[in-house]
Amino acid sequence: MSTVAKEFKPEQIIEQLDQARTLAFSMPDTYPQVLRQILNFVHNPDKSIQKWCVKFLHESFVKNDKLKQHDKIDLALDTLDSLIFLSNVKDIDTFESVIDISSVIYKLVFQYVAENVGCNQVWSKLTELKNSLVNKFQSNYPLEPSDNAEHDMLRNIHTKVELLKFIIIVIDYQSQTNVVNANGDSTPPPDTFSLNKVSSTHALIKYSNMEYESKSLLDLVLKVFSYDILIPPLLSAILNHCVIIMKRKPQYANKILNIIENYDTNTKFQSNYQSVESFKLSKKYVDRALKIFIQHVLRHNLVPSNYQNSLNKKLTMLIDRGNDIRKKNIFNIEEPNIKKRKFEGFLNSAKKIKTIDYKNLYCLNDVDNELNNFDLTTVPQNILVSMVINALGKASVTKLSKALEIIGERYTDAVESNVVAAPTVKKEIKQERQGFDDEDDEDGPTGYDPDSVYTLPPPTELSFQEKKDHISIIIKNFFNLAKNANIVSVEDKDDSKTQNGEINVSKELTKIAIKSWKKDSWIILLTRLATRGMRSADEGKSPDDRANSEISDMIRNAIFDYFLDNIHGRIDLIIEWLNEEWYSEKVFNEEIAIKKTVSSDGLHIQIETPIYNKWAGKVLDAMIPFLEPNDRKIFIRLMSDLPYLNEDLVGRIKSLCLDPVRSKIGFLSLQFLIMYRPPVKQACINILQELSNSDQEDLKEEASKLHAKYK
Amino acid sequence: MVTDSLKICTVCASNNNRSMEAHKQLKDAGYDVKSFGTGSAVRLPGPSIDKPNVYEFGTPYEDIYNDLISQNCRKMYEANGLIHMLDRNRHVKPAPEKWHSNSYAGKFDLVITCEERCFDSVMDDLMFRMYSRNDESDVKQIVHVINVDIKDDNENALLGGKGILKLVTMIHEFRQKKKDAVEDESDVILEDQMMSILTEWQKENTHLPTLYGISYY
Repeated sequence: MSTVAKEFKPEQIIEQLDQARTLAFSMPDTYPQVLRQILNFVHNPDKSIQKWCVKFLHESFVKNDKLKQHDKIDLALDTLDSLIFLSNVKDIDTFESVIDISSVIYKLVFQYVAENVGCNQVWSKLTELKNSLVNKFQSNYPLEPSDNAEHDMLRNIHTKVELLKFIIIVIDYQSQTNVVNANGDSTPPPDTFSLNKVSSTHALIKYSNMEYESKSLLDLVLKVFSYDILIPPLLSAILNHCVIIMKRKPQYANKILNIIENYDTNTKFQSNYQSVESFKLSKKYVDRALKIFIQHVLRHNLVPSNYQNSLNKKLTMLIDRGNDIRKKNIFNIEEPNIKKRKFEGFLNSAKKIKTIDYKNLYCLNDVDNELNNFDLTTVPQNILVSMVINALGKASVTKLSKALEIIGERYTDAVESNVVAAPTVKKEIKQERQGFDDEDDEDGPTGYDPDSVYTLPPPTELSFQEKKDHISIIIKNFFNLAKNANIVSVEDKDDSKTQNGEINVSKELTKIAIKSWKKDSWIILLTRLATRGMRSADEGKSPDDRANSEISDMIRNAIFDYFLDNIHGRIDLIIEWLNEEWYSEKVFNEEIAIKKTVSSDGLHIQIETPIYNKWAGKVLDAMIPFLEPNDRKIFIRLMSDLPYLNEDLVGRIKSLCLDPVRSKIGFLSLQFLIMYRPPVKQACINILQELSNSDQEDLKEEASKLHAKYK
Repeated sequence: MVTDSLKICTVCASNNNRSMEAHKQLKDAGYDVKSFGTGSAVRLPGPSIDKPNVYEFGTPYEDIYNDLISQNCRKMYEANGLIHMLDRNRHVKPAPEKWHSNSYAGKFDLVITCEERCFDSVMDDLMFRMYSRNDESDVKQIVHVINVDIKDDNENALLGGKGILKLVTMIHEFRQKKKDAVEDESDVILEDQMMSILTEWQKENTHLPTLYGISYY
């Protein structure tokens, strides 16, 4: 039926559905079959069909005597999936109907599960439906959240008071009932269903889980009393439901009465979304609802003795308060103690732009606020900058992002809607469009097509030379960072003003922009740019990749030259760079090797690191001639901290040993490597052997001695 | 007849003066309206303050009318407006009805009471109905209950009726607003905006103090 349905127009489908409905009502025997067929249409993307189905389900389950009870139960089981789906359809009317249908179905299915075994699947669906509904009580579902929590408390009260009905049913079914009688005693219920009727050893319906959930749901509902503002419709709706709990669940009476006893409208704040007049009325209305509730529970003996005195006192107080204002004009009563709640939202949070100009695009405070007319262009730039930076520093991240979100939506709205743009904006859009697409000039006299969404022109491709120029600039900037004493770690607390009292803007900006900037951060960024940023996956074969590796080498050369300027002082930097170099190359080549080798022994492939080897060699070659006899420590440090050594690299130590003045450094390094770097042990021993055949006597002697010791 | 009218009822103590005046005005304006009394019986002024005319709810206005004009104090009843009131009532509906036994009348969206005592009585009775009736296949429906406090005399009943008609019209017009026309749907949800509507109305009608709450049937 549903596949055929695709060929029909929505109106035709609805016409057929109407006929099916008529059939069901005129021949009740066909009703179950009709309903099951109609469930196939619930997922129809056409809203009018979906709404028709919801309406039909509502009239089928709510107050319908055409359906026999056992059919109703079977159909309720079959309807669970559709209801779960519908409970997430974002439409207030649909959701309201879903709540009603679920209220009936929840009861039917709960009883069914209680009385039958092996209903795991049904039970989990029922639980899913229940959770889908109750989880929406605290949100504004199906509305989207507004710009702040206070506003959301006051939005979509309608759905909240509807959901309340369902939540109270769940609390009622999932906890034990003891009805309070006229004399205040409580007895098990005569013929209504509740947890009492479920076997205490039921496999799915566990008493402890059920009662825990009931209690949590009641807490959720009662949380509204802890709000610091007044919502009379919601509060009175909750109080009216609380009497059911008071009557049937004496175990929760203390919880409710404790809240009522301590509730006082005088401690609440005026909401930012209501006038003081509205707040005065709210107080009066809520006080009245409390009075009626207390009177009711006292009169019907629903109050445990320990609360009677305090509730009677509270009642007298509320009656007096009501009598005081009854005949007065409530708005003229002086109430100096009214305080407004702290405002957390935006005065102008509209997401649709009213007039298309920049003021209306960005304005988040009251549009008529005089402050908006202040001309900021008269403020000197340095003061303006410090104001902005200060403001950014103080703004909360969530509020700032909410603000940007609002402005973003306004912008999108302005672009998408067909509103004729104000001349200023229109002109700018026109110029931009002409800038990147000349063909559009013939479109019309304005060249502006409001239907098209404006996108930025794509950036033009840089030539290789341009890229190289830019990289040079980037490298230069990095070394400036290294040299510039002003860029210091943010942790280094100092005053942000220069000697003449002006604010050091770049330092302030650094504080905001790069919070974790450290003294050495530049070398990490630069080495990673060379080793990872410029590397691509095609193994240096494409022209692009060759260009990239050339750029990488520019950076390496720059770092290398920087090192040569001060070999003794910059050894740490070189170790850091070469470690980055080796690690990146190793990981990168390993990935390629694994991709190439499908077999499992792929992991044992020797991974070569030619780039690292080349630059490590260059560093050693550059360094060794300049080593002084007392540079022992830094050289051994380098040999120890380089990530990888091979025979070729170690071989460069030979020249040190040959120099009579520095031979000590050479031999010490070889000994160190023999002892602490086993992978190059043999290479070092080979060097010693080679040296022991030297024609220099002292060298020969030292080398032979060590060779004999370690071979 | 107003299209898409809320189901409304007006309530006072005896379902004769205030609720009937409002009933008439709302009915004349085309609203779907009924009316009830919350007293234990229909009490109308009698020859003296300690001798009221008492009738059971359900006694036709026609009968009460005939009873009053047959009494010796007929002239007094004519002078104090009682006869005129019953004459009006019998043209609006047959007999005074009692709130507490009105389940036959169906559910209402909006109940307007004319006295704080009646508001309390309606709210209290709705609370009682919350747990005393148990139809498993029925679901409860939201009802807005508003009290507009009106002094129980001819002139005030007339003014009060006008105020109630204005309030109902404001609520009705609010409900006609289209969802699509607003940015935030909350702006057209009655429960979200009821406090603003009541505040606005109260500012214009400071002589008619209000109460308000949401209950369920």
